[in-house]
Amino acid sequence: MTGFFRQVADYTQNAISAGKYLLQGLAVTFDHMGRRPITVQYPYEKLIPSERYRGRIHYEFDKCIACEVCVRVCPINLPVVDWVMNKETKKKELRNYSIDFGVCIFCGNCVEYCPTNCLSMTEEYELASFDRHSLNFDNVALGRLPTSVTTDPSVKPLRELGYLPQGIMDPHEVPNKDPRAGKLPAEVLDWMKQESSKEGEIASISNTKEEVN
Amino acid sequence: MNTGLDLELSFNNLLQGFGISSEISHILWLPLPMLLVLSSALIGVLVTVWLERKVSAAAQQRIGPEYAGALGVLQPMADGLKLLVKEDVIPAKADGLLFTLGPILVLIPVILSWLIVPFGQNLLISNVGIGIFLWIALSSIQPIGLLMSGYASNNKYSLLGGLRAAAQSISYEIPLALSVLAVVMMSNSLSTIDIVNQQNSFGFLSWNIWRQPVGFVIFWICALAECERLPFDLPEAEEELVAGYQTEYAGMKFALFYLGSYINLVLSALLVSVLYLGGWGFPFPVEWIANLLGQNVDTPLVQVFTGSIGIVMTIIKTYLLVFLAILLRWTTPRVRIDQLLDLGWKFLLPISLVNLLFTAALKLAFPIAFGG
Repeated sequence: MTGFFRQVADYTQNAISAGKYLLQGLAVTFDHMGRRPITVQYPYEKLIPSERYRGRIHYEFDKCIACEVCVRVCPINLPVVDWVMNKETKKKELRNYSIDFGVCIFCGNCVEYCPTNCLSMTEEYELASFDRHSLNFDNVALGRLPTSVTTDPSVKPLRELGYLPQGIMDPHEVPNKDPRAGKLPAEVLDWMKQESSKEGEIASISNTKEEVN
Repeated sequence: MNTGLDLELSFNNLLQGFGISSEISHILWLPLPMLLVLSSALIGVLVTVWLERKVSAAAQQRIGPEYAGALGVLQPMADGLKLLVKEDVIPAKADGLLFTLGPILVLIPVILSWLIVPFGQNLLISNVGIGIFLWIALSSIQPIGLLMSGYASNNKYSLLGGLRAAAQSISYEIPLALSVLAVVMMSNSLSTIDIVNQQNSFGFLSWNIWRQPVGFVIFWICALAECERLPFDLPEAEEELVAGYQTEYAGMKFALFYLGSYINLVLSALLVSVLYLGGWGFPFPVEWIANLLGQNVDTPLVQVFTGSIGIVMTIIKTYLLVFLAILLRWTTPRVRIDQLLDLGWKFLLPISLVNLLFTAALKLAFPIAFGG
């Protein structure tokens, strides 16, 4: 008989704790209702891509030496380098260059290995088109200067979480000019230079001490 | 007993004043409350759909519909319009008659149940003696429609969804009816009007929720299960069953299901407020306030005022419950079918039985507090 009552007591306890957890969950959901939306209202607001964002590839025709390194490092040999040998000058003459962004995976190997830096990554990512063939960019399309979210007057640029001032979670809350948390890369470089010069002094002092000994 | 505002009587008197016989004035009166309740049910659904989308968005830190009307209030209208002009597809191997009959059979009992929902002393279509029992009886027609549409779709997901819906409705009907029975036992009547009147003698202190806390919780759980709301939405569990019995439906037939589920939700919330939260009753009895202000309760102006307060109170209570249902939707995970049946048969049924017996014992022991 006591076993039965214990079972009933356990069961009741379980039911009560389940109800308690349910209320806790409801409190969490209710709390979320008071928070500000974290969504970005896309066509009107856009996030600013980070410095190392790998978007559409930009290409400068005049810098290119038609070495085809980009083709060799590409996982699928995607760039098409159309050149002919000029017998008189004994030099390659570049006629056309194209990359198909419907196939490109934006790994950035071509940009990494280009000996003349004629390839570079932009922050453009809106490449949608009605026809996949229009994603095949020739050297003119590749040479178009990239547009930026920050210069578009019809778009409100928003910073990503890592670029906001300390303690701020929502880019709507602060003006775009407020400095980000932590040091800028240039400031970090200065700091590193100072540190290394200090270390150099210490090292030279210890060296002189050793020489004395 | 305070009869309060009686629109039917005033209407009939007015028409008879123009020399129209009482039969004709009665016939003229009949369609008015029906139209009114039908349109209020539809508006209630539109508001609920909007509320669902907005509250869901807020719970997920989104904005929700924004461009269709101010704050997206026209979004449910736009949804309805879209469904209205969509192509009405009946799958080639489906049973056309049953396929069409299914959504109708789901929607009609739900709308019929609005017959007994009171917004005031005389503000309901008909004060039938069996009142709340009529609702329970009508709501058991619904699973037939669900099963019918699931079976007729000739699709395994639809069939599974229909079977689940039927199993769920049947298992949760019993604890629901038992918890209603406990309330009925206390108020000695099945009529919704009497049930509310019995709760409103001392304002919010005499609401049934204090005397029937267990019954309230059981009723709410079962009502959610009957409406197929999360955590009990497994008949249409989209991750496993595509959309359950709704899978093959499009256009207006889908809209009927959609409408039915939301009308059912509003109806359940209304009935919870009627059975447990004092229906149209203000938290403090309106008669007291009227006496305090030195007004006679029977003067026409005060009657109109108390009548409107009653409607507003019913709607406020209902929408608080709808809000709770939406909040629960984003809090609780969906239960499995075995967990659902376990909860229904092994937990809610015995507890509601014990609750009923306990209420009967209390009624015998304390007839003053528990309606002797």
